[in-house]
Amino acid sequence: MPETLPIPLLSPAPELPVPVPELPAAKLAGRGRVTVEIRQHVSGWYQGVVLACGLVVGIGLATAILVVSGVGLSDLFQEFVVSMVTSRSSLAAVLVQAGPLAIVGLAAAVAFRVRFWNIGIEGQMILGAMAATAIAIHDVGPAPARLGLMMLAAALAGAAWVLVPAVLKIRIGLNEVISTLLLNYVAFNGLLQLLYGPWQDPVSSFPNSKQYDLAERLGSLGWGDLTWALPLAGLLTLLCWWLLNVSRFGFLSRVAEANPRLGEGQGLPMTRVMLAAALLSGALAGLAGFSICAGVEYRLTQSFFNGYGFSGILIAFLARNNPLATFVTAVLVGVLYVVGQSLQVFYGIPSAMVQLIQAVIVIGVAASDFFLRHRVRWVPGRRPDV
Amino acid sequence: MTVRRPGFAPGRHPVSDEAINPMDGAAMGMALELLGVSKTFDGFQALAKADFAVETGEVHALLGENGAGKSTLMNVAAGLYRPDQGRIRVRGREVELSGPVAARHLGIGMVYQHYKLVKAFNAVENILLAQGAPRYGTGLAEVEAAIRAQSEAVGFAVDLRRPVGSLSVAEQQRVEILKVLVAGAGILILDEPTAVLTDREAEALLTTMQALARQGAAVILVTHKLGEVQRHADRVTVMRGGRIVASADPASLTAAELTTLVVGATANPVHCPATRIEGPVLAVEDLAGTRSDGLQTLHGLNLTIRAGEIYGIAGVGGNGQTELAEILMGVRRAGAGRIALAGDDVTGTGPKLRRARGLAAIPADRQVYGLAGDLSVAENYAVGGLTSGRFGGWLRVDRAAIRAGTEAAIAAFDIRGARSPRQKASLLSGGNAQKLVIAREFAGRPRFVLAHSPARGLDVRATADIHRRLREARDAGAGVLLISEDLDEVMLMSDRIGVMSRGRIVGEFDAPADRQAIGVAMVHHA
Repeated sequence: MPETLPIPLLSPAPELPVPVPELPAAKLAGRGRVTVEIRQHVSGWYQGVVLACGLVVGIGLATAILVVSGVGLSDLFQEFVVSMVTSRSSLAAVLVQAGPLAIVGLAAAVAFRVRFWNIGIEGQMILGAMAATAIAIHDVGPAPARLGLMMLAAALAGAAWVLVPAVLKIRIGLNEVISTLLLNYVAFNGLLQLLYGPWQDPVSSFPNSKQYDLAERLGSLGWGDLTWALPLAGLLTLLCWWLLNVSRFGFLSRVAEANPRLGEGQGLPMTRVMLAAALLSGALAGLAGFSICAGVEYRLTQSFFNGYGFSGILIAFLARNNPLATFVTAVLVGVLYVVGQSLQVFYGIPSAMVQLIQAVIVIGVAASDFFLRHRVRWVPGRRPDV
Repeated sequence: MTVRRPGFAPGRHPVSDEAINPMDGAAMGMALELLGVSKTFDGFQALAKADFAVETGEVHALLGENGAGKSTLMNVAAGLYRPDQGRIRVRGREVELSGPVAARHLGIGMVYQHYKLVKAFNAVENILLAQGAPRYGTGLAEVEAAIRAQSEAVGFAVDLRRPVGSLSVAEQQRVEILKVLVAGAGILILDEPTAVLTDREAEALLTTMQALARQGAAVILVTHKLGEVQRHADRVTVMRGGRIVASADPASLTAAELTTLVVGATANPVHCPATRIEGPVLAVEDLAGTRSDGLQTLHGLNLTIRAGEIYGIAGVGGNGQTELAEILMGVRRAGAGRIALAGDDVTGTGPKLRRARGLAAIPADRQVYGLAGDLSVAENYAVGGLTSGRFGGWLRVDRAAIRAGTEAAIAAFDIRGARSPRQKASLLSGGNAQKLVIAREFAGRPRFVLAHSPARGLDVRATADIHRRLREARDAGAGVLLISEDLDEVMLMSDRIGVMSRGRIVGEFDAPADRQAIGVAMVHHA
């Protein structure tokens, strides 16, 4: 057994066995106290229970907030549980949201897996959507191959948008958080330039592109508004799962995440792994942009990407960068989204309140993490001195 | 030698309460008592009702293997851990240590084995930080004066201006020791202080500690070096498995008796010479190299290592050893010169090609190039053979093969403390972590083994195991380069010894070498 304790999992530095000072303990003079220790081993079963408890606490708090602001408990139960289980149209609405959310979640997860903090997901979505729209507007290629071309263009454009920050990080150590973030603004202004200029809808004169032709849209699944965007997300999830959890690339990415210098010393291509993960992240973000334009809105709008960047980061964080968990989390976030909309529309709950309860639930899950990394223990007090 | 009286060092945190003056009762009496201290971590009992007492004016050695509970006990004394049970008395008064700051105010200062330094700060800033000084500007000047006085008194030369992160491991430790001395600690706890020092430095340090004790300090020396205990300690307490097994006058015990107390069985290391030495496996010519901060530390180094021998490099830390090791590993570029490995010029190549040519490396800092603490034992093992195809191809990593290979390695290399191959590597003790590194590195039957301070911080038994592995590699026909700041280790292991100073090999000696002559070579060029 070690004399020293491991540092928490999230800690960035690779200097390992440092004695960890105990967190400030609640002190009850002479009566024992609560200590907090770093957990050395976590079983999968315990992990599931703790996450579920976090979810329950978060939903409990959110419920309390809603009840205080005047929504009846039974109405909430109706909205959250009954309609999700019984109403096929509600479920379809959730899954429509879940598709693009899952893809941006994957984009974040792949990059975070190698500690490339891609904050530019929205910019890459914009580039991907612009490339796909260019193919659609100019009718490039034969109609049956149009969708395939649009996807390819979206992936390439998204990857290209992250290429510069990735290369700058590798070559001169430029912080990718800054460079990817700033490129979002460049992409957004480029988008406005096109939508208020050459791509403006000639029919309505609104600042969005003209509608895609039928051959340029992802087909309907015949269930609500669901399109092939959802199966596409599922397919990409499986692909990323294979890549990160099965293939050798996944193993290399784990080394790059935990200690790239170990891999370097072993002659493993750590730099190339990081670059590949960053490019894949950009490509996925580009595909997410494509899936919204071709699967939900059927045109390029000026706000289709709004909020997806941070949703992706959130989903990847909650899913611990695990692709399969990313998909499940995306569905749950979709539920929050849809329920939030109906709360606004039917119960007059302000949108700020909706965001508040969404945040409370997410924090409940995120905070449960503490109990996965630490053990809270009661230490009995000393006997009185003789 | 002039030594500042502990407790009155300049720059010390001003203390108004008379009762906590570290010099109180300096004439005689108990400085620090730990009574019936127990501590568990996540179900593991690290300390079981341990009693430990240090008198004022003595150097008290705390002896035991890795994992015996020495560091945990001392972390309790330094206020870093709060015991589950037990009491602490400082100079006869019962105290509750709410944290390291409380301990420092009581005059308890600890030098940790893993340094607590801000790497981007220089020595002065680090020490100022530890003082909790209120004003940066004036504090800096005061502290710097105090450090200069202390470092002169103790015989330490440290570059106070460079960021601590760019100092060598040995220099960083000096900063740690100075930090405690400048803080005016009357009860000094040194956790494995000599592990990274050369003989001369260690001797000087321990003599200084003795002098400090004579002037009224209490010095606790956590160590597993028996020689130090016998030469420098007034009293020794031996721990095993979280319990105190003996407390005695070291003069009344033989080395064999001490060893028996520590490990329960007697083991005496002996030099085993090489049996079959063949042609050169590594040839280094006119090697130049620079440190990360741009300073040139290798100046035309020449070195030849033959198959079947252990070549030991002795020298004071910071003379280019780290750069030499990194250049040989292929993770640092050579400034000039030529490196030939197994007959092929590998000067401009990276680790991949060198490993294909038969390089194995045991790096000095396990946490950097050796292991990834957050990865499992199995993953750390598999990292080495990943591209060999043993553990599956590009499409699929063969987890079953990895687990089987790791389990075989755990058995073959006697890696203990791994409850399963899926356990995180950071939970292994130092010795077992090093065995894991060696198991991985030796899996490919190396032709050249680079071992940089392979036994640093390891206990007697683990050190013997590591040394046995190096000898086995040599006897299997590999050339072994052992770089170490521990002259005893170099003397014990090497068939030839090169003394390194200022980026060159300044003298070579065949075993059995004259320790005195090596010492002279080290000093003359230092």
